[in-house]
Amino acid sequence: TKDMETGEDDLCQNNWGSASILDYEMAMEEEEEEPNLHVFKASSSGQDNNNNNGGQAWDPRTMLCNLSFMEQKIHELQGLVHLILGRNGQLQDEQQQLITADLTSIITLNNGGASQELEDDAEEGENLPPGSYEIKQLEKEEILAPHTNFCTICGKGFKRDANLRMHMRGHGDQFKTPAALAKPPTKETLPGSDAPMLIKRYSCPFPGCKRNKDHKRFQPLKTILCVKNHYKRTHCDKSFTCSRCHTKKFSVIADLKTHEKHCGQNKWLCSCGTTFSRKDKLFGHIALFQGHTPAIPLEDTKPSSQRGSSGCGNNNNNAAMVSFSLGSATNANQETSQPCFMDGKISFEESFSPLSFDTCNFGGFPRSIFDDSFQMLISSACGCSPINGGDTSL
Amino acid sequence: MSHSILSALSEDLLVRVYGFLDPPCRKTWRLVSREFHRVDSLSRTSIRILRVEFLPALLFKHPNLSSLDLSVCPKLDDDVVLRIALDGAVSTSRLKSLNLSRATAVRARGLETLARLCRALERVDVSHCWAFGDREAAALSVAAGIRELKMDKCLSLSDVGLARIVVGCSKLNKISLKWCMEISDLGIDLLCKKCKDLKSLDVSYLKITNDSVRSIALLPKLEVLEMVSCPLIDDAGLQYLENGSPSLKEIDVTRCDRVSSSSLISIVKGHPDLQHLKASHCISEISLSFLHNIKALKHLKTLWIDGARVSDSSLLTLSASCRALTELGVSRCVGVTDIGMMGLARNCSNLKALNLACCGFVTDAAISAVAQSCLNLESLQLESCHLITEKGLQSLGCYSKRLQELDLTDCDGVNDRGLEYISKCSNLLRLKLGLCANISDKGIFHIGSKCSKLLELDLYRCAGFGDDGLAAISRGCKSLNRLILSYCGELTDTGAEKIRQLEHLTHLELRGIKNITGTGLAAIARGCKKLAYLDLKQCENIDDSGFWALAYFSRNLRQINLCNCSVSDTALCMLMSNLSRVQDVDLVHLNRVTVEGFEFALRACCNRLKKLKLLAPLRFLLSSELLEVLHARGCRIRWD
Repeated sequence: TKDMETGEDDLCQNNWGSASILDYEMAMEEEEEEPNLHVFKASSSGQDNNNNNGGQAWDPRTMLCNLSFMEQKIHELQGLVHLILGRNGQLQDEQQQLITADLTSIITLNNGGASQELEDDAEEGENLPPGSYEIKQLEKEEILAPHTNFCTICGKGFKRDANLRMHMRGHGDQFKTPAALAKPPTKETLPGSDAPMLIKRYSCPFPGCKRNKDHKRFQPLKTILCVKNHYKRTHCDKSFTCSRCHTKKFSVIADLKTHEKHCGQNKWLCSCGTTFSRKDKLFGHIALFQGHTPAIPLEDTKPSSQRGSSGCGNNNNNAAMVSFSLGSATNANQETSQPCFMDGKISFEESFSPLSFDTCNFGGFPRSIFDDSFQMLISSACGCSPINGGDTSL
Repeated sequence: MSHSILSALSEDLLVRVYGFLDPPCRKTWRLVSREFHRVDSLSRTSIRILRVEFLPALLFKHPNLSSLDLSVCPKLDDDVVLRIALDGAVSTSRLKSLNLSRATAVRARGLETLARLCRALERVDVSHCWAFGDREAAALSVAAGIRELKMDKCLSLSDVGLARIVVGCSKLNKISLKWCMEISDLGIDLLCKKCKDLKSLDVSYLKITNDSVRSIALLPKLEVLEMVSCPLIDDAGLQYLENGSPSLKEIDVTRCDRVSSSSLISIVKGHPDLQHLKASHCISEISLSFLHNIKALKHLKTLWIDGARVSDSSLLTLSASCRALTELGVSRCVGVTDIGMMGLARNCSNLKALNLACCGFVTDAAISAVAQSCLNLESLQLESCHLITEKGLQSLGCYSKRLQELDLTDCDGVNDRGLEYISKCSNLLRLKLGLCANISDKGIFHIGSKCSKLLELDLYRCAGFGDDGLAAISRGCKSLNRLILSYCGELTDTGAEKIRQLEHLTHLELRGIKNITGTGLAAIARGCKKLAYLDLKQCENIDDSGFWALAYFSRNLRQINLCNCSVSDTALCMLMSNLSRVQDVDLVHLNRVTVEGFEFALRACCNRLKKLKLLAPLRFLLSSELLEVLHARGCRIRWD
């Protein structure tokens, strides 16, 4: 809260102070958007800040600050409206909007309540009050440049400053001293600069982007890396394609690598083509939509099942491998070895291809020749007529 | 002569006449009369097919079929189905019910064809198809009109498959997912979100959690919920049901270990119209508060509290308020005594089924009271009630004229006199006398002479009776279809010769009877043509002549246990190739069969086997292609 308060003090002294009637005047005269927006931005962000404080314990100092701000603001607006009156009320739409926005901001501040919009803003981003940080904006070329540190001697580029220094050692002994190798002092670490440095935040150079400082709900980026990734992800072509699925595209290599780690693991597939890495997500999706069903991958089909059901001619070679010798069986069982059994043996060897089920058609249906041969055999063995009992339990 | 009369009658009259005949007569008439044959073809609505060869012809002959049962048709596979589909003459558009239970060789291709072919399909049973997986489910989901679906023990079915069915068949109002072990909360949740018309749901034995119960509680029309043995569901889950599923009539939480009476109380509170509460083996004690809430259920018909501690006073309170009770299960309940049972008998005179198994303190007095008060009693289970003697059985014989099922397994007090009394219950259909050591031919004779309607008789390890008793049974109980004679050591071939008179016998257990030889088995095979289940384990003295006869005559045999039999290579081959309906075989410890014998026997029947038990070493001795084919045809092999 202390930070917030100091920030707020800054705000009251600097920003609000600068947003004087002169700014408006200037804006009106020069018809320049920039300062106008700036004022609005500052004011709306100010609300955020105050709004945040509103939830906390009542602080007389904050209250005073708020009241003085309101007073100032009302005066500004009064002046502005007078000015407009003086100009016969000719005003552009944007400017009208700005004025009404300012008025509403005062009202909301007065109520101490929070409008929905402001709450939304509070949820995302870090909510630094404007002015409490320094805004830097890199240019597009700078962002997309592969290297940022260049050797002054040979011109070679490096991503990191430290790498550059390591490289410099090759250019002579003078670069090998501890002082030359040490991290160069930044402004913050320079002795003598007692004043607390403003935090650095970055703006995206793309006009209209929410991360651009001119956006009315601007949200700054924290580091240069953030700027680079943001710019590439949002404003550049996605030139890296996943080598596995060949569909997903990325503009940041790191993103591609992260994806490739998990690509192919999205095994939960919906009939609509959407993939999910988690089963519960897929089921949630299916529950949500009418007619969507989980897709079943195709590669599961086993060839063996087809072989089994339709019989296989290519197995004929293996028939010889089944060395079934009825001789041994009949030896073990003398009393039942009947002469006609030899017929059975012959029929085995002649007509038995081990796994073919539909060697002959019986009424259009496969019947194993095996069954029939045995049945013939047994009827001849027992000397009985064929039976036809219980074919269907009608 | 009859020909002319019949031809004079109009078709609708013939249909009516035919309708009055009982099934065996219908068969006879159908076979001798052209008219009746035609009438039968036109009027038949359900059919059960045993041999796939006749399927297209039968479908063609009976155009008005609405129910087709293919569960005992072992050779049925995708190719057959595709051939039927190509054969345009077959009309299947009226088919509403299809039973494909254990048809493991029908896979996605066949199922999809069937689903497309039978456009009016409403009921499908694919239970025990262990290979039935997501692909098959996807194929089945083409039949959008399915209302009832039974998928018990479809072991490969996962949430994805269930999701396909749920999305495809949104009219489902009854589904059974028992033993579909891959199904999780996600699947159940989706089911409950998409099928709002669901009335009956069976999620027994699934590893689902409380989240599933929360989803289930959102089903507005649910009436029957079965969740036997769901180990992960606890009280917190069941409490979702208190305010959910407003039309719940029946709930079964048997063997849900983590469920206690507190959550049952909340269910009872939320559903005052509950009719069936089955909570066996999950509550340890009938507490006062539980009792108090149960009392409010005025429509309670079924109450199972097996395994709980029940005091006499609680039984009295219970029976005083729930007078509509028709079924009570208090087996293995500690604390059930005569006083409680007598009170119950006094109050609940509508009782039809009573399970008192392992209630060791119950005596003749309680049984007499029940018999005298509950004249509608149909089923009584008294397993291991050692104090029961002939006195109790006497009152049963006097009063319980409607008794259909009586279980006296392991009751020491049952003797010949007791059996004489029981035999007066002339409507008896099922009688279990296993382990009753004190009964002899005399007692069995009474049963045989009086209980002519008997369908099932269990005489497991009744060592005291022999061939004469069996002769009486064979003479008297002509409609017997299930007979268990395992370890009845006195039986010989003479007895087996008598069994052959039981034409309707389908299930016969002869385990461990050493005195039966090939002659006996041959006699049985000749007589009992309908035999579908035969257990010959440890019948060591049956020689090949018996097995040859079996192979020749018992064409309807579906399941056979030959463990420890002295069957030879040739006889085994003969059996396996000729028994064209055999699906389930136990072939362990066959000393006289060589590896080649096994190979050939299995090759002969590999296109119809569904289940097989073999000694483990054979896994490496049998050819790999044989095992592959067995697997591909959906056969499960248990290596012993």
